[in-house]
Amino acid sequence: MHHVKATNEVLSNSLKALEDRVNSVIKGKAKVTRLAICTLLARGHLLIEDVPGVGKTTLAFTLAKAINCSFQRIQFTSDMLPSDIIGVSIYNPESREFEFKQGPLFANIVLADEINRTTPKTQSALLEAMNERRVSVERKTYTLPEPFMVIATQNPLEYHGTFPLPESQLDRFMLHLKLGYPALEYEKEVLFERADFEAIEKAGPVIETSEILKMQKEIDNVRIEQSVLDYLMTIITETRNNEKIRLGASTRGAQFLLKIAQASAYYEGRDYITPEDIKETAPYVLGHRIILRRQTSISDAVKVIEEILEKTPVPV
Amino acid sequence: MPKLYKSITALLAFTGCISLVITGELNPVFLLPGIALIPGYWRFLKGRPPLPRWLIGSLSLVEVVIVFFDAFIVSGDFLIAIAHMTIVFQALKSFDLREPWDPLQVFFMSLLQLIITSELTLSIAVGGIFIVFLFAMIVAIVLSHFIKEGTLHKVEFKKPLVFISLFAFIATSVFFVSIPRAKGGLWGRRTEKGITFVGFSEKVDFGSFGNALIDSTIAMRAEVSDKRLPLYWKGITLDYFDGFSWKNTLRKKKRIFSKAGKFTIRYAKPEKLTIQKIFIEPMDTAVLFGLGEIVAIESIGRVLYMDEAGILLLPAKINRRFSYTVYSIPYSRASPVESKPEYLQIPDGIEKIAALAQQVAGKADTALAKAKLIEAFLRTNYKYSLTTKPTPEGITPIEDFLFNSKEGFCEHYATAMVLMLRSLGIPARIVTGFLGGEENSYADYIIVRQSNAHSWVEAAIDGTWRRFDPTPAGPPKMASLLFLYLDAMKMNWYRYIIGFSSRDQIMLLRSLTMPVFKMPEIPGIKITVRPVFIVIAIAAFTTLTVVFILKISRLKRYPPETKLYLKFKDRVRKKGGKVSPSSTPSEVMHEAYRLKMNPDAVSEFIGIYKEIRFGGRKMDSRIKDKYKSLFSGR
Repeated sequence: MHHVKATNEVLSNSLKALEDRVNSVIKGKAKVTRLAICTLLARGHLLIEDVPGVGKTTLAFTLAKAINCSFQRIQFTSDMLPSDIIGVSIYNPESREFEFKQGPLFANIVLADEINRTTPKTQSALLEAMNERRVSVERKTYTLPEPFMVIATQNPLEYHGTFPLPESQLDRFMLHLKLGYPALEYEKEVLFERADFEAIEKAGPVIETSEILKMQKEIDNVRIEQSVLDYLMTIITETRNNEKIRLGASTRGAQFLLKIAQASAYYEGRDYITPEDIKETAPYVLGHRIILRRQTSISDAVKVIEEILEKTPVPV
Repeated sequence: MPKLYKSITALLAFTGCISLVITGELNPVFLLPGIALIPGYWRFLKGRPPLPRWLIGSLSLVEVVIVFFDAFIVSGDFLIAIAHMTIVFQALKSFDLREPWDPLQVFFMSLLQLIITSELTLSIAVGGIFIVFLFAMIVAIVLSHFIKEGTLHKVEFKKPLVFISLFAFIATSVFFVSIPRAKGGLWGRRTEKGITFVGFSEKVDFGSFGNALIDSTIAMRAEVSDKRLPLYWKGITLDYFDGFSWKNTLRKKKRIFSKAGKFTIRYAKPEKLTIQKIFIEPMDTAVLFGLGEIVAIESIGRVLYMDEAGILLLPAKINRRFSYTVYSIPYSRASPVESKPEYLQIPDGIEKIAALAQQVAGKADTALAKAKLIEAFLRTNYKYSLTTKPTPEGITPIEDFLFNSKEGFCEHYATAMVLMLRSLGIPARIVTGFLGGEENSYADYIIVRQSNAHSWVEAAIDGTWRRFDPTPAGPPKMASLLFLYLDAMKMNWYRYIIGFSSRDQIMLLRSLTMPVFKMPEIPGIKITVRPVFIVIAIAAFTTLTVVFILKISRLKRYPPETKLYLKFKDRVRKKGGKVSPSSTPSEVMHEAYRLKMNPDAVSEFIGIYKEIRFGGRKMDSRIKDKYKSLFSGR
């Protein structure tokens, strides 16, 4: 078990190093970095909604390389078929058998770029694989590598020829984030730097893959005190009863919130969840799971979630 | 709609309608639609669908027409017509409750019904209904609020309900005590059915009286300050007898004006006064009753009349229940009798009676002795009876009583005695009023009934009026204890609820400040404590205790580390930090940073708190001390 300190700002050395590495590449996005790492630890998938050119790929690539993992980027297009991402069986004339050629999904960190550009058929193939962590092709099941994390991106501004993900599909993502433009002082720095993927690769890992897998298991041991669990459930129930919300959070949403709170507590070196673990992550976990009565965008939903959090008393 | 909300709606609708029914003022025909409330609410509670809108709408339109018809032709009274209308609309609405806000109309109509009821009657039942209504209305409003907010299912509303109810009860009591009753109703039409069959009457005539003496209707209730005066409730005096009936001919009245609510007839020493607070039932007379010689009266209005015989009258008959206070002294020489020829008037043809008087009292030397002899003669030789036979032809009723039947009731005795006194040259008159009454020890007052109506004699002897009662005592009547108990409740209702006056307020205040606190006397040092300061001190102490207990009980539920954390949170708030119940420990911590509190200590303090509270770490004495010192360090 992780060492427990009385203060909550202490990271384990390896997690600290991981965070520093990502922060050194994606500058001024400490919170996003932290949530992305938490999602990785919680075995979740990430949905990033943002305009192009703010460093989504860099984030995914850096994360993958820092934990010594394989990385694949899939640019989604409208003519893509499920086999283009999963893989395809090819007849080998020598062995006279069909051989499965793995698609780009068979990687530890997969960047699914502009997922809303492709057809629902391909989207659902990806989402099924995300959920089950394996793919079935012609009655054969292939397990995806561990750790496995999909970082999907959506461009919120372009609508022509897109297939926005329905809420039921969005529900499969543990976290929904917005990267946003970097703060002015960081952006000035970024202007003179080139996204040097080779340099990132050369810098080498800061943490071993096996250690990430170990941490993913340890997170399940993070405890939650009864009143904190009640607090979590109060928030979930309120999303179902709030008059502004048409569809509240699902049970999977509650599961994910608990999971990410565990990861957040673990990240801070605790073996127990505090209310802030829930309050600070809830907008990112629940924002894309609810449908407002007057839906405009996910960020409106995030505001409603924040309102709910401001109304719900924290256990003392 | 939740079941409780439905039940409360039904309860309020029935409460409103029943309160109108018990006034007994409504036309029974209009009560029939009220029966429809029963199936209406039965269907509503069972969740049956409401009746179609067109049906309800057209029936409502018909009712609006009926209201005008009713107001101008049937009852000829707008208030009654509206009362009828509310019953019909309540009945219609019971079939038309669709949305959660529909019951609000029911609540409003019930309130209207209760207001109309309060206007029509002062019965004690209204008090009971009011209490039911108050609490039901609080529950209804709280429920409708949560239903409107859509948050009923997760609100713990029992506690606020109890709290609001208690608050309403206390506030109502405070208002009740601090606001004296308005005289007359809201619209000044508070009427009671008067007692039309009165035992007491302003004209005495034989035959009509006997029936009244077995009528146990309550005429008045009275609180008497002491027992110095015998309970002869004097009403009017009568001077002229025409052989069959008595009349008052001394009707010239003078006015007495009130000064600060008090009509003073003449001065008397306060210690001699007997105070009677009289609650008179609706009665067909303007006469004010009282014991002994009345020297002052506290009553409504600005003017009273006093006729030549000294009878006090209101300017007009008041056919409703009201109360007044009488200050009396015993008869004395201080109020000399104006000798008037009317007090010696005798009808023709009473020689036989004069002869009897001579025979009974002629030998005595003084007027007093003569009167006493006649009184004793009548008391011992005649029989009291309420059932008199009709007087035979050719003889006056009074001769029949004196010489033939020898039985009769107070009228006969008093008439006989007055005539006998007058024939001996002693001025005398008949007095009618009430004698005695039952003492109700439950609330310490006297119940006077119509059957207490009585006539007696006053004779002017040695320059003052003296009372004689020649009537032998009839068998005493006893009321049941249950009756007395119920009547005591009624009396208290009239006395302290309906009749709560500004005088009562003053008395209440006085009773708070009156007690004299005697401090132990130490030679040389004189301590004087103004009672009012003691009251303030007690009030302040009580408030502080309550606040303290509340504060303790707020923290008592929490373990020690939480108490300290809450205190810390309070401290951050008091310094201007933005903290709320939804603030997490980290948010509180960051507020503390912003307020330039020692960051290391704050961070460690919050860390320990979270460890113990959420991490389940045991608080050993070392951590406890550390935690406390971190808290008190800032």
